[in-house]
Amino acid sequence: MTPLLSVSDLAVSYGAVPAVAGVSLEIFPGEVRVILGANGAGKTTIIKTVLGLLRPRRGTVRYGGEHDLLRLKPHQIRRLGVAWVPEGRQLWNTLSVIDNLRMGGFAERDAKAVDRRVDEMFERFPRLRERRDQVAGSLSGGEQQMVAIARALIAAPKLLLMDEPSLGLAPIIVRDVFRLVRDINAMGISILMVEQNARQALRVASWAYLLEVGAIVDSGPVSEIASHSRIQAIFLGGEA
Amino acid sequence: MMPLLLQQIANGLVIGSTYAVVALGFSLAFTVLRVINFAHPDIFMVGMFAGLVLAVPGPWGFVVALGAGALGAAAVGYALERTVISPLRGRDVLMTLIGTLGVAIMLENGMALIAGPDPVSYPNLLPREFVDIGPVTLTLRQVVNFAICLALLVLVSLYVRATKFGRATRAIAERPDVAAAFGVDVGRVCQATILIASAMAGVAAVSVGAMYGSAHAFVGLLYGLKAFTCMLVAGNRYFEGVMVVALGLGIIEALVTGYLSSSLRDAVAFFVLIGVLLFRPNGLFGSYAT
Repeated sequence: MTPLLSVSDLAVSYGAVPAVAGVSLEIFPGEVRVILGANGAGKTTIIKTVLGLLRPRRGTVRYGGEHDLLRLKPHQIRRLGVAWVPEGRQLWNTLSVIDNLRMGGFAERDAKAVDRRVDEMFERFPRLRERRDQVAGSLSGGEQQMVAIARALIAAPKLLLMDEPSLGLAPIIVRDVFRLVRDINAMGISILMVEQNARQALRVASWAYLLEVGAIVDSGPVSEIASHSRIQAIFLGGEA
Repeated sequence: MMPLLLQQIANGLVIGSTYAVVALGFSLAFTVLRVINFAHPDIFMVGMFAGLVLAVPGPWGFVVALGAGALGAAAVGYALERTVISPLRGRDVLMTLIGTLGVAIMLENGMALIAGPDPVSYPNLLPREFVDIGPVTLTLRQVVNFAICLALLVLVSLYVRATKFGRATRAIAERPDVAAAFGVDVGRVCQATILIASAMAGVAAVSVGAMYGSAHAFVGLLYGLKAFTCMLVAGNRYFEGVMVVALGLGIIEALVTGYLSSSLRDAVAFFVLIGVLLFRPNGLFGSYAT
């Protein structure tokens, strides 16, 4: 089977400062894979490079076997079926909830289809319907994360890139978010997730990568990697 | 006492509406493209001359001149976007600032070379009539100018709030990366934004030329400074905020002219600027983080 996304030997720098050096990873259709790593390990850099928002120094990023994403602009990559739940939500705070959701479907030509998907999201998240005309900046953190996820789903993606979806949320909301990740995956959407909450992430993912200072130091199926001492020590609080 | 007050407020709204159109053009470029477009006031000036040159006599003369102003200004805006803004955008904000300043100097002095450095008289596109509105008397030309500028402001406001492309414009203003990742072709929206800002400056310029009966190669300087001030005072978070501040500045200037001295008029904008920025550095209505 061809991978949906395959990144190989990726190196990205901010000016002279390397953020990612020689990262390779892949994800197959229907999978959930997670990149675990501390702050500054380069997780967001990888996501932004896949989205076309950063230009790497070297490496390749291929999508669906045929598309070289490094030759495409972000809006062209979106049209191939890639959507994003950014770190810290990054909603348009001055736009209303419904306008944020409509923007999720910006690349869709059929306006009716977008309206339909927005309605589906209001069914799924009734709280958002109540707040549809409020500016997104006035919502609580949990509600904002719902908008961020709904916005990405309205894009009807094949591949969803989720950047720390649990960041800054109350524990009870975190559980909801991970339940949602499982539901989204059950809809047939492949998910590449970046997380620090390893305990939760390893429950939904099938494969994990461990990223340290810009390089992948360990990777494998979750069933195996969860017992590796490094992950135990760093993330799960177990005995090394 | 009362009639003078109302009269000056009306005069202020007329001139303020023009400031608002130019200021909105500045604000669009700064908010959406992160570019301080110092050539914008001179695009306004080019529009004024385009209307003057292509004006035809007859009842449709004014409409044709407005169209010519819009096209002339939009053409310069397009060329500016292609040659200076697009290649330099995304780098240090000073680079586009210097680039557009260079274009501004070129446009002003180029026009002074062609049309001369002194004011040129504008064709009589509108009849010289007076209109009484209650206790206030305005010239027909003032009323037309106000109506045109107000219509432009309402159109832009509708565009950014109620259309898909306009929504994308605001999305870029707040978070360009996220907008791009959700399918917005940022380069194309930026181009459209400069075209809209330029075309509406051109329309307003013809209407101002017809109102005062003259065009001037250096007319952009004054409008530019006032408009730039309005943008800073309002902040760039809401385009409507810029409009309100510009209308307010027009009124304050008219009141200063009416009650104090017309020589103080042009200083007022800067007193307001210093006063507001001292207490609200992000402007009256707030600004996006950069």
